[in-house]
Amino acid sequence: MSQRFTRKLGWNVLGLAIFAVMVFPVYWMINTSFKTNDEINSSLKPGWIPVHATLGNFERVMHKQYFWTDVKNTVIVVLVAISIAVVFAFLAAVALEKYRFTGRKTFLVLLIGIQMLPGIGLIIPLYVLLAHVPVLGLNLVNHLSGLIVVYISAVLPFSVWTLRGFLMGIPKELEEAAMVDGSSRLGAFVRILLPLVAPGLVAVSVFAFIVSWNEYVFARLLLNDGSTQTITVWLANYIGGEKAVDWGGLMAASTLIALPVVGFFLLVQRRIAFGLTAGAVRG
Amino acid sequence: MSLTIVGGTLIALLLTRLWTAVRILLTVGIILVWSMPPVVAVQVWIWMTNVQNGVLNYVLTTLHVGNYDGHNWFGSPTSSLAMATTLIVWGALPFVVITVYAALSQVPHELVEAAEIDGARAWRVFKDVTMPVIAPILYLLTCLSILWDFGVFTQVYLLIGQPAIVPGNYVMGVYLWEEAYVNTDYGRGAAISILMLVIVAAMSVFYVRRMVQTAEVT
Repeated sequence: MSQRFTRKLGWNVLGLAIFAVMVFPVYWMINTSFKTNDEINSSLKPGWIPVHATLGNFERVMHKQYFWTDVKNTVIVVLVAISIAVVFAFLAAVALEKYRFTGRKTFLVLLIGIQMLPGIGLIIPLYVLLAHVPVLGLNLVNHLSGLIVVYISAVLPFSVWTLRGFLMGIPKELEEAAMVDGSSRLGAFVRILLPLVAPGLVAVSVFAFIVSWNEYVFARLLLNDGSTQTITVWLANYIGGEKAVDWGGLMAASTLIALPVVGFFLLVQRRIAFGLTAGAVRG
Repeated sequence: MSLTIVGGTLIALLLTRLWTAVRILLTVGIILVWSMPPVVAVQVWIWMTNVQNGVLNYVLTTLHVGNYDGHNWFGSPTSSLAMATTLIVWGALPFVVITVYAALSQVPHELVEAAEIDGARAWRVFKDVTMPVIAPILYLLTCLSILWDFGVFTQVYLLIGQPAIVPGNYVMGVYLWEEAYVNTDYGRGAAISILMLVIVAAMSVFYVRRMVQTAEVT
């Protein structure tokens, strides 16, 4: 009995140790963001907690050039991309689930296939395409709208796939029953289908939010001006060419940028893990 | 990147053996790590491995692993790639742990108990009872990890930093970026793209096939 307890205790200690190692970088970021510069730069011994806790770093970050401009840019890009992507994805998912048409299966296979292509492999074609948009003859490089288009196409495959999963779970009879009871096709769609898929729409929106908020490669590629950047590019350039790095400010900025993502993430983490491997467990 | 899969599975197995309080703590920690934006994680890594005040050097020296005072982690291509790898594994572990843990909860308790009563060792139980249940998930996860890690760019590029990027620490994504964006050699860049996409496409056949089977595409 006691030997069993010791073993259990051992596992738990190991669990706590892994917890400590995994969380340490996050903790260190927050810890540093509250420290004064003197505390950070005393090379003798790093402090485990900020002794003279200060909000000075956060204040400095918020007054830094382009911080708010770039936050605004990111929010615009993210919101527009999400709204358009969710509408498209929803309509596509409904079409895929409700109707049978030629090429439907191929389309589905392509959808998961495309999702796997690494974004970095597409930088050249996308750049060339956006620099001279066919037909319209526009140049969308260094323009937020170019980035919005890229993000929409980036999140669409996953969104369609996930929403389709949600739609599959809704029995056809529900809609039919509504129509038998005198509801129009549109009425059945709005009153039955939409409320039932709502959680899926939320999950997909949050997913799109996280992807576009975190995205770096395309933002770096397409936007090269301080005032049109997104926040990840701003953060990556923070260290810049200065000799003495403002670690406190850097960590404060990191904390601020991570916050919204952490918040949204807690809302949907289950759904995302589920979507990528859906069906495999029960298969 | 098999590190991620093996490590993730081990942690997930560990999760099933913990007291509830510890398990919740570890899960919350893992989700927290999961939600860190890559660009943010890179900044934290840069700070932790800083030559002068980096906490990594301090901890290693204090624990008597060796004298790392003033050790430059980005001094050699191998060492800087190793740092990038730890960063990527750290970021990728949570997804694996959570998914495998979810799969483990599908393993029937009765089967495990029956096997234990019949005198099976822990390893036998894992191999013959647990493994068959989580195998499909592990298969998908392995495919996903390989594919994702193949296209990795942001972490390596930002962590090592522009001036320190040399052919010795190129990964495919960085090589592509250097040729296409920095040297503006679009032709060569496009050639690398094509190579990369062909390799990824070949590998993703396995993933797509399995997804199509399990998701009942009809």
